[in-house]
Amino acid sequence: MSAPVIEARALRKEFGGFVAVDDVTFEVGRGEIFGYLGANGAGKSTTIRMLCGLMAPSGGAATVAGHDVALAPMRVKGAIGYMSQRFSLYRDLDADHNLEFFGGIYGLSGKALTRAIERAIERTGLSAHRREVASSLPGGIRQRLALACALVHEPAIVFLDEPTAGVDPASRRDFWSLIRELARAGTTVFVTTHYMDEAEYCARIGLMVDGRLVALDTPRALKARYVPGTSLAISGRGLDGAMAEAAALPGVLAVEPFGARVHVRFREGALDEAAVRTIFSREGRVDRVEPVEASLEDVFLAVAGEGAKEAAA
Amino acid sequence: MRRFVVRVWALSAKEVRHVLRDPRSLYLALGMPVVMLLLFGYGVSFDLDRLPVAFVDHDHSAASRALRRRFTAGDDFVDVGELDADGAQAALVAGDAMAVIVIERGFERHRARGERATVQVLVDGSEANGATQLRAKAERMLALLGVDGAIRASGAGAPLEARTWTRFNPEGKSAVFLVPGITAYVLAIVAVLLTALTVAREWERGSMAQLFATPVGRLEIIVGKLLPYLAIGTLAVLLVLAVGMWVFDVPFRGSPAALALLSFLFLAGMLGQGLLISVITRSQMVATQAAALSSMLPSMLLSGFVFPIENMPQVLQWITVVIPARYFVEGLRGVLLRGNGLAELWPELLALSVFALVALGVSTARFQRTIA
Repeated sequence: MSAPVIEARALRKEFGGFVAVDDVTFEVGRGEIFGYLGANGAGKSTTIRMLCGLMAPSGGAATVAGHDVALAPMRVKGAIGYMSQRFSLYRDLDADHNLEFFGGIYGLSGKALTRAIERAIERTGLSAHRREVASSLPGGIRQRLALACALVHEPAIVFLDEPTAGVDPASRRDFWSLIRELARAGTTVFVTTHYMDEAEYCARIGLMVDGRLVALDTPRALKARYVPGTSLAISGRGLDGAMAEAAALPGVLAVEPFGARVHVRFREGALDEAAVRTIFSREGRVDRVEPVEASLEDVFLAVAGEGAKEAAA
Repeated sequence: MRRFVVRVWALSAKEVRHVLRDPRSLYLALGMPVVMLLLFGYGVSFDLDRLPVAFVDHDHSAASRALRRRFTAGDDFVDVGELDADGAQAALVAGDAMAVIVIERGFERHRARGERATVQVLVDGSEANGATQLRAKAERMLALLGVDGAIRASGAGAPLEARTWTRFNPEGKSAVFLVPGITAYVLAIVAVLLTALTVAREWERGSMAQLFATPVGRLEIIVGKLLPYLAIGTLAVLLVLAVGMWVFDVPFRGSPAALALLSFLFLAGMLGQGLLISVITRSQMVATQAAALSSMLPSMLLSGFVFPIENMPQVLQWITVVIPARYFVEGLRGVLLRGNGLAELWPELLALSVFALVALGVSTARFQRTIA
């Protein structure tokens, strides 16, 4: 990893007696896509707000693009792009006028502004919608326009707070290919999401539970650590009755219902498909047994479960 | 500094685009003043003429008939007939006559001898403004005819004093007197309402939060937002004055510089008031009501526009001290009618400056604190 462009050291935020962000430490390198995950109220937005200079930390420190967020929030704001959860475009203005406004707010004018707008339009593929009023744009396009507004001054870092909330799957996919292109071109992307499939696109992921950063690594490493082994997915009918028996099989780490299917996870090298078939066929009907890869959703559930256990202990 | 200008320009340009995209606020800002001026100027005239007057003639002489004829010869009064004493009271009660002139027995004899000849004028005082004007006109007429009038108001007992001494607006035309008041009234509403709405809209849409994530400063937001409305307000002032002069022959006797300064300071104060409302309420709905209430009522009722401040109860008079519209109306009357300049109007200008500074200062400070 090259020199970090975002650095949080024991970052902390309290509201009254409530600790929203508790000693969070991480680094994000240049051109990295960093995913910040967690349930609602886990402290994601509070962290973003501190990193963007919108809120002073109660403890610890953070530097963004080389500026201390507590000491030079205005410099931080000038160096980053920020796209909030609610797309806050001006709906009665067209795409060009929205871009012109945000460019101006970041101090661009004249030819530099014109060039910046052209470039933002080009990067986000909005050339067909330039003169359309924002309110008449479909959700996916509007969200791309919001991204363009956050990029118009060509910041080194963009913070995207739940950028794809409420957008259809096809638009989400398009949006993520935009984000990956950005990162390839050297822009650092700090993104929060609660779509676990999207999190797979991130180079590294930080997982927040109750204000604490409980896991921080690449998606692959997180899966290997929290959801080790290999899983089988069994589909069929009347599978519930055999779940306890399957859990007692040698080498089985976990048996979990997953939608209409049941996932059985074995320790590495202990996979026994025949035994699984036998047990589940006894009680119900097995249609199909297939290996499945662990998802980040499994990781999230495993980590959240651990957190809950800790809390109970 | 250059960045400041660029940012303020971006904010102002955006605001102008909002207005052009939805020009209803422009109609409100420029149409309403003219419509109000025409309405008040033509319709709600405080001038009275052709007042219905009845007579009770106890003398039945050539002199009494002559008095009656001459009294109603002009445009001021219309003769609605002769009545007996009971009928006179009934006519006043029914509203058929606004005044009854009672000519005493022996009127002709007294006049012939050169003694004091007296008539009694009964005035319907239930509408105080009309009664005052009627009394003044009746007194003037009787003085002209060489008769002592004992004037008594019925209904709401208005004082008997009727002093007429008119300068600067000798014809007593309402429009001339009203234009300054309407200017203040309309400007107050437009400036407070539009500012309150535009800032509250940013809160409601969440775009204010977005602005805070950019390097734009609070002062830049405030200046950028207020400039376009200052321009619109200035346009509204010019429009009202133009219509006033063109349609109602309102004079412009004083200094244009004083007028410009008065308008600028008043507008700045009203914009500050609107800003303060929206910073506190943050909702368009509440902001609209608070803005309408806090601008309309004081500038209408406490500015001296409709009711002269000197006639108000003492407590209300004290309250008017903090109503900026009062100073603006006074200043405008000074500039337009009395030919005042900066030298005479400095107290008004000072008061308006204080209000503008306080309103803008407090709202900027509130604005700072609300984020963090």
